[in-house]
Amino acid sequence: MADLILLVPAGILIATLLLGLAGKGRTSLYLSNILSAISSLSICYVAFLGFKKSLELKFQIYSSSSIVSSLNWLILRVDSLSAFFLLILGVLGFCASLYGIKYMEHYLNKGNVKAYNFNYPIFLLTMYLVLISWDLLWFIIFWELMSFFSQFLVAFERSNEKAIKAAFKYFYMTKAGAEFLVLTIVAVTLKVTNFNANYSEIARLLPLYLQSNPSTLYFLTFALLIGFGVKAAMIPLHSWLPDAHPEAPSNVSALLSGAMIKLPIYMLFRFFLTFFPKDTSIGLIIAFFGAITLFFSIMYALLQDDSKRLLAFSSIDNIGYILLPFGAGLYLIAIGNEFLGAVALIASLYHTINHAFFKGLLFLTAGSVAYETGSRDLNYLGGLAKQMPLTAFTALIGSLSIAGMPPLNGFVSKWLIYVSTLSTPATSLFGIIALFISAVTLAAFVKYFTTIFTRPPLEEIKAKEVPFLMWSSQMLLALLCILFGVYPFLPLKLTSSALNSVGVQIELAKLTIFPSIVVPKTGSFSPIIIFAFLLIATAILVLLIPTRGKEMSTWSCGSKEKLNARIPSNAYYMDFKEEFSEVYKLGDSSKALMEKALKFGRKLGLRFEVLSYNLDSMLFGAMLLIVLLVILLGGVSL
Amino acid sequence: MNFLVVINILFALIFAPLFDGFERKVKARLQNRQGPSIFQTWWDLIKLFKRPPVIPSDSIKRLYILAPYITFTAVLTAYLIVPTLLPQSLNFAGDFILVIYLISLATLIFSLGAFSSGNPYAQLGSNREVSLLMSEELVLAFVVGILALIGRSLSFEILFPLPLKVSSILGLALLFVVIYVSSARIPFDIPEAEPEIIEGPLIEYSGKHLALLEYSIYLKRFLLYSLFLNFILPKETTIRTGGFLLGLIVLSIVYSSLEAYYGRFRLDQAIKLMKKLSAVALVAWLIALMGW
Repeated sequence: MADLILLVPAGILIATLLLGLAGKGRTSLYLSNILSAISSLSICYVAFLGFKKSLELKFQIYSSSSIVSSLNWLILRVDSLSAFFLLILGVLGFCASLYGIKYMEHYLNKGNVKAYNFNYPIFLLTMYLVLISWDLLWFIIFWELMSFFSQFLVAFERSNEKAIKAAFKYFYMTKAGAEFLVLTIVAVTLKVTNFNANYSEIARLLPLYLQSNPSTLYFLTFALLIGFGVKAAMIPLHSWLPDAHPEAPSNVSALLSGAMIKLPIYMLFRFFLTFFPKDTSIGLIIAFFGAITLFFSIMYALLQDDSKRLLAFSSIDNIGYILLPFGAGLYLIAIGNEFLGAVALIASLYHTINHAFFKGLLFLTAGSVAYETGSRDLNYLGGLAKQMPLTAFTALIGSLSIAGMPPLNGFVSKWLIYVSTLSTPATSLFGIIALFISAVTLAAFVKYFTTIFTRPPLEEIKAKEVPFLMWSSQMLLALLCILFGVYPFLPLKLTSSALNSVGVQIELAKLTIFPSIVVPKTGSFSPIIIFAFLLIATAILVLLIPTRGKEMSTWSCGSKEKLNARIPSNAYYMDFKEEFSEVYKLGDSSKALMEKALKFGRKLGLRFEVLSYNLDSMLFGAMLLIVLLVILLGGVSL
Repeated sequence: MNFLVVINILFALIFAPLFDGFERKVKARLQNRQGPSIFQTWWDLIKLFKRPPVIPSDSIKRLYILAPYITFTAVLTAYLIVPTLLPQSLNFAGDFILVIYLISLATLIFSLGAFSSGNPYAQLGSNREVSLLMSEELVLAFVVGILALIGRSLSFEILFPLPLKVSSILGLALLFVVIYVSSARIPFDIPEAEPEIIEGPLIEYSGKHLALLEYSIYLKRFLLYSLFLNFILPKETTIRTGGFLLGLIVLSIVYSSLEAYYGRFRLDQAIKLMKKLSAVALVAWLIALMGW
C-alpha cells in the first residue's frame, strides 16, 4: 500500500520525541534536529505524492456506538489542498530543523534542552496531523494538542519572565478561540451530519442545509472567524502573536510564523469553499477584516525596536494580505465572476507560501544576528553586513521579497491581489489599502535591514558569519524566494491544483501565456522578461561603467574627527508616524478598552468562583450555562 | 513591432537630460537670470561619467557600489512598458502596478545604497526619502484605484487614453500632483535638501556613480511625464507624436515654473499635504465608483 507513506513522517517524529526524552546533551540535540529535518523531507515527499493523486488511510480505533462514534475511525487523507500546505510545512520544517542543529547549541547552558527535544518534534507532528486528518473531531484534537505543545516552545527560556507570560497569553487566547471551533463542530455534527464528522460527508450535507438556514450560516461564520482568527492573529484577535513569536527560539518562530498561523488559513479554505455555500457578504466581511489587519499591524510594525517583534507584526500584516484576497475571491465567486475569483484565491494561496518562505527566512536571519551578537535591539545593532555578508544578503532578499519588489516572489502574489481586487467596485477600496500598505511594508523592512546590517554601529560589535548549517538554510529559503518570483508558473500550477481539490476550477492556460501571467482585459506581467532585462541591463552597465574607485574616509563636513552619528531606530519615519498618530491613538484606546473588558471579566470570574462555593448556586450557574449552550446550538435557526 | 520599443528607450535616454536643461533655462528666465544652455545637463553628465568614483571607507561596499546601477536599470525597465515617442510598448511584460513597483524599486535601492554609505547625512536623507515615498503612495494608491475603476483594468492597453469623465479628470489631476512630488523637485526635494543635509542620499556618491544616479532621476521624471501624457493622448500615431512632444514641453514649463515659485517644505508639511490630498482622492474614488 503506497498510502502507508502517510505514516512515515509521523513515525520518524514519534521516534524523535522518544529519543529526545532520553538525553539532554549536545548529541541528543543534534539527533532530534537531524531527525526532524529528515521527517520534514518525508513530509515534502508526501506533499509531492498528494499533488499527483489523493492518499487515504483508514484505521478503526475501536467500535462504540456512543456519541463519540465518529472517533471510531481515524481517517487520514491528503488531497491537493492539504498537499499544498504540507509542502509549506515540509520545506520550512526542513530549513528550521537544519538551522536548529547549530543554533540551538546556543541554548545548551541556558534553556531546558530536553523540553525542546521533546516539544519540537511533537509540534511538527501535530501540525502534520492537523493537515492530514479528514475528520473534524480528530482535527480539533490535534489542533488543541498543537496549541498545547507549542506553548512550551514559546516559554522555552524559562528564566525569562516575558517568555512565560507570552506563552500563557498565547495558550489562553488560542484555547478560547478553539472553544468556538468546538462549538461549531458540535453544532455541525449534531444538527446536520448525524454524528459524522468526516469531511466528505460534511461537504455533501452541510451546504444544502445552510442554504435553507442562512442564520446558522452566519452564526457558524462568526464562530469560525473568531476561532481561526485568533490562531491566524487576525486583528482584533492578534494580541498574543507579537508577544509569543519573538520569545521562542528563532527557528521555532520561523515555524510558528511561517507554518502554524497558516493552518487556520487551510481550514478557512476547507470550510468556506467546500462546507459552506458561497455568500457575498461573508466574502466582503473577511476581506474587510483582512484590510484592517494589514493596515493596523504594519503601522505598529513601524514603531518596533525589537527585530523579532517587528517581524511578528509584519506576520500579522501578511495574514491580512492572505485574508483580503481570500474574502475577495469568495465574494467574486459568489457574484458569478468565477475567473477573477479564482485568481484572487490563487493570490491568497500564493501569498501563503511566499510568506512562509520570506518570513521564515527573516526570522532565521534575526536569529543569526541574535546568535552572534546576543541582541535583538535595533537601536544597538548596526553595520553587520561587513561581518556577516551572507546573512546580510539573505536578509536583503527576504526584505525585498516581503516589500513586494519585482522580480521576487512577494511581487507576484501582491500583483495577483491588486489585479483581482482593484477593477471590481466592491473590492476596490481593499485593493487601494493593500497598495498603500505595501509601501509602508517596504519602509518597515528598510528599517529592519538598514538598522541591523548597514548603518554603522555606535560601538564595535564583535560578530562573524554564522556556521554553514545556519546560513545554508537561509540561503535555501532565499533561493526559493527568487525562484518563485522569477518562475511563478510552478507555484501557479500548485495553487490551481490545490484549488481544484476544493471545487474551484480554473483554466491555467487562460492565466499563464508564456512568458506572461495574463488576467484577460485586466492586466499582465512577465516575470521572466523583467528579470532578464534587469539582470542583463545591470550586467552591461557594470561592464561599460567600471565600478572601481578610490577608497577614502567617509566625509565628515571637513573636520578631522568622525561624525560618529547615526539615526537611532526609533527615529525612523518620525514625521510619518506623527502625522498618522490617529492610527496609534485608535489602537491604544482599543487596547485600553480591551483591558477594561479583561478586568471586568476577571471580576465576573471571581464572582462566579465565590458563587460556586455554594453547591446550589453552582448547580444553578452550570444549568444556566447549559441552557445557554442549548439555545446557541439549537435555537439559532428558530 | 517590438524593436520600436528600443527607439522609445533611446529617445528617453537622449532627451531626458535635455528636458532637464530646458527646465533649468525656464527657471533661470523666471528668476531674471540668463541661465545655461539647454545642453548643460548633458555636459555635466558627460563630465561626471569621465570622473572616477570615490568609495567611503565606512560603507558596505558591494551594496553601495551596486545601488546606482540597479537604480538606473529599474527605471529603464519601466520604459519597456510605458511608451514614449512611439505608442509601442511591451504590454505583455507588465502593467500599471509593475510600473509603480519598478519606480519604488528604484527609490528603495537608491536609499539602501545611501544607507550603506555610512554617512549620517545620507541616512537622514534616505529616511526622508522613504517617508515621502510612503505618503506619496497613499495618494498614488487611490489614483490607481480610480483609474482601474474607470477602465475596469490595470493594463495600459485599455487605460491609454482615458475616457472623458469627471473621475478621470480628477484622477489625472491627482496623478499630476503625485508626479510632481515624486520627481524630487522643490518644494518636495526634502530628501536631498542641499542647505540642510547636503544632498542627503547623494552626499557620498561621486563621479560615475553620481552620474548614474542623476541620470536615473532625469529618466524617472521623463518616465512619469510620459505616463501622464499617455493617459491623455489619443492612439493615432501622427497626432500622438506631435501631441506628445508638445505635452512634454508644456509639462516641463509648468513643473519648472512651480519649482521656481516655491521654497522647500518641511517633511511633516509634505506628509500633511499628501494626507489632505488623500481625502480629496477618496472623494474622487467615490465619484469613480458612481461611474461618473
